Amino acid sequence: MKPSAGLVVFKQGGALALLTNTKCECGHQNPVGTVLCEACGLPVQQEVAESDGLLEMRYEGAARRSQKSNPKLLDRIWNFFSSVKVAVYLIIITLLLSILGTLLPQVNVVPSYDPASYYAEEYGKLGELYYSLGLADTFGSWWYKGLVLMIAASLIICSLDRIIPLYKALKKQQPVKHETFLKRQKVLYIGEVADAESWLKEAEEAIRERRYQVTREGTSLLGEKNRFSRWGPYINHVGLIILLAALLTRGLPGWYMEQGFSVNEGQTVSIPGTNYYLKNLKFTEVKEVGPHVSGQELQFAFETDAILYRCVADCNNPFAEPQLEEVLQHKIRPNEPLKYDGYSIYQIDYAFSPQATIMTLNVLRDGQPIGELVLNLTDPAPAYQLGDVSVELTGYYPELTSVDGVPATKSRLPNNPAFILDMTLADGTTEQYFVVPFQQYQTRISGAEDSEPLTFEIGGMEASFYSSYLMVKVERALPYVLAGALIFLFGVVIGLYWQHRRIWVRIDGSRLIVAAHTNKNWYGLRDELAKILDKTGIEIDAKSLDNSGVGKS
Amino acid sequence: MARNKWVQLTILAVIIAAGAFTIGANLSKTPAPKVGETAPNFSLYGLDGAAYELNDFIGHPVVLNFWGSFCEPCVREMPLLQKKYEKYRDQGLVVLGVNLDESTVTINNFIRGMNITFPILLDKNVVRKQYGVYNYPTTFFIDEKGVIRQEIVGEMNEGSLPSHDIEKAIKRLLSG
Repeated sequence: MKPSAGLVVFKQGGALALLTNTKCECGHQNPVGTVLCEACGLPVQQEVAESDGLLEMRYEGAARRSQKSNPKLLDRIWNFFSSVKVAVYLIIITLLLSILGTLLPQVNVVPSYDPASYYAEEYGKLGELYYSLGLADTFGSWWYKGLVLMIAASLIICSLDRIIPLYKALKKQQPVKHETFLKRQKVLYIGEVADAESWLKEAEEAIRERRYQVTREGTSLLGEKNRFSRWGPYINHVGLIILLAALLTRGLPGWYMEQGFSVNEGQTVSIPGTNYYLKNLKFTEVKEVGPHVSGQELQFAFETDAILYRCVADCNNPFAEPQLEEVLQHKIRPNEPLKYDGYSIYQIDYAFSPQATIMTLNVLRDGQPIGELVLNLTDPAPAYQLGDVSVELTGYYPELTSVDGVPATKSRLPNNPAFILDMTLADGTTEQYFVVPFQQYQTRISGAEDSEPLTFEIGGMEASFYSSYLMVKVERALPYVLAGALIFLFGVVIGLYWQHRRIWVRIDGSRLIVAAHTNKNWYGLRDELAKILDKTGIEIDAKSLDNSGVGKS
Repeated sequence: MARNKWVQLTILAVIIAAGAFTIGANLSKTPAPKVGETAPNFSLYGLDGAAYELNDFIGHPVVLNFWGSFCEPCVREMPLLQKKYEKYRDQGLVVLGVNLDESTVTINNFIRGMNITFPILLDKNVVRKQYGVYNYPTTFFIDEKGVIRQEIVGEMNEGSLPSHDIEKAIKRLLSG
């Protein structure tokens, strides 16, 4: 009983084509790559047909969908991704690169504007190599994303190429199977029955009782249950594909961001990467004596009282101040982020950095106040009016120092502000003063020598004490990641907790062959089959149904 | 079979499109302009109240200098920049001094004292970040086509250190 599979060489368009004849002896024409006949289950692939061991039941022995005798470029690309071997290699390569990517901190957390030299300084030659190989930004690199995408392609194509033939094969199953097919199953019983018809009735009843669906044809019978379990792996592939696609959306503008920024008390800053602004009204360091054994003062919280603004006009106009509209006020604490419009703003750190913001100078003539100058230390206005005295601020050094005897500023921070003030008095005379309030120093640079100079005293100060460090995060793909993960789990559950079981019965005359197949839990299947046989009057030990030894001697 | 082929083509096309998109998005993410690249355009107010746009100067060689009065080397090279501006402005050279977020009072006082006459632009750290400038002073030499030809980080001089020689850099820019 050998199938008629064989090699046929024939000429086609001048080229030699090597083809395998896949027509089964039952008359069914199978596609190229078929292992077991789609109709009767008889092995049609030569090596399988010639051996006599157990049958490999994977994908029901159906041909992978895209296998062709004469592949074109499209088919070759498709076949590359359709290979499980390729998928495994892709996964291994990605895994190894991911491991390498965790060896050194990645560029996004490196505290330097010049990562190339940072890696060289911090980690030496190895760091230099690491950076030049691009491993410093493994997970954001084009090649890593390319690999992930290839895995996604492989998942889609492998699944499609297998689930479609499997689905079709299972859908058009025929109860009558070839004897060879049955005898080479892992669970097998061969015996005799006196009356085929009455035994079949009993058997059908017993199989149905165990919630199998039964189809009968002549003296053959097929019982099947829980076929859906076979879709489990494919469902979890769908979940994985959704997950991977969701992760790739991080590359879309606005879908994923994580950026730190700092805002001083009283300051309003643009939140990087968004259309929003944030004002730090006040930062509070909450210290409480906690339940610590030492009874020490423990810091319990730090919070930023913040107002979120939306920019409604002139947002990116360098020629106008942005127009802001208040959205909400919120106290940002650790683990209590300000959440709005998909953005979350977290408190990540703070610094105590006291800084004067506004200074009020009392101006006196002969000990009598003539007015006060309110000076914004970040960007002071150039002109002021004190009663009948006009004041022009012609010089401002936030942090006074001297370079070659000339006044200069050391930084932009008002740590030691100095002012040059040009005063025009009521009578039209002008005087120029140089004032360094923190050092209580002032000098009249020009003006009438004979008059008493004006005096400048600090009348009041406003200051910002804390810098609050915040982090703005967006992860719009999160719901899709979750959906993908849930679908994945669903696939795992139906694939793991249910088994696809089938029982074939064939009676020729008085000879009975019962074979069974499952995708897992063979012990359970043998046990179930033994119970079914028992109901039909065949008493047998479940262990003896094990046909694993077939073909081995 | 023909139907299968279309399905295959569609799936491969979608994957290739996704790949082109993510990888393309990745490659276009260059933070700071480099020598040989087109200088990114920007608009800023000048200290004189006029609006300046870099692209308005296409057709002119441009020296784009990032400076602050708090930065000593910036202060030291200022007279040199002014001298070169006066020497080459007739040949079309444009010098733009982008100030690093100081108050107008401070800047005015400074340029008055230095007799600076080239335009000073007021930047609130936007153009500085756009150009990836983290060390001061930094000077970009942009040719008539708007391409960055040279970038000098640190104080420039005349003749003593070739890599920081402003005269050489401007000559190169003018010779095209």
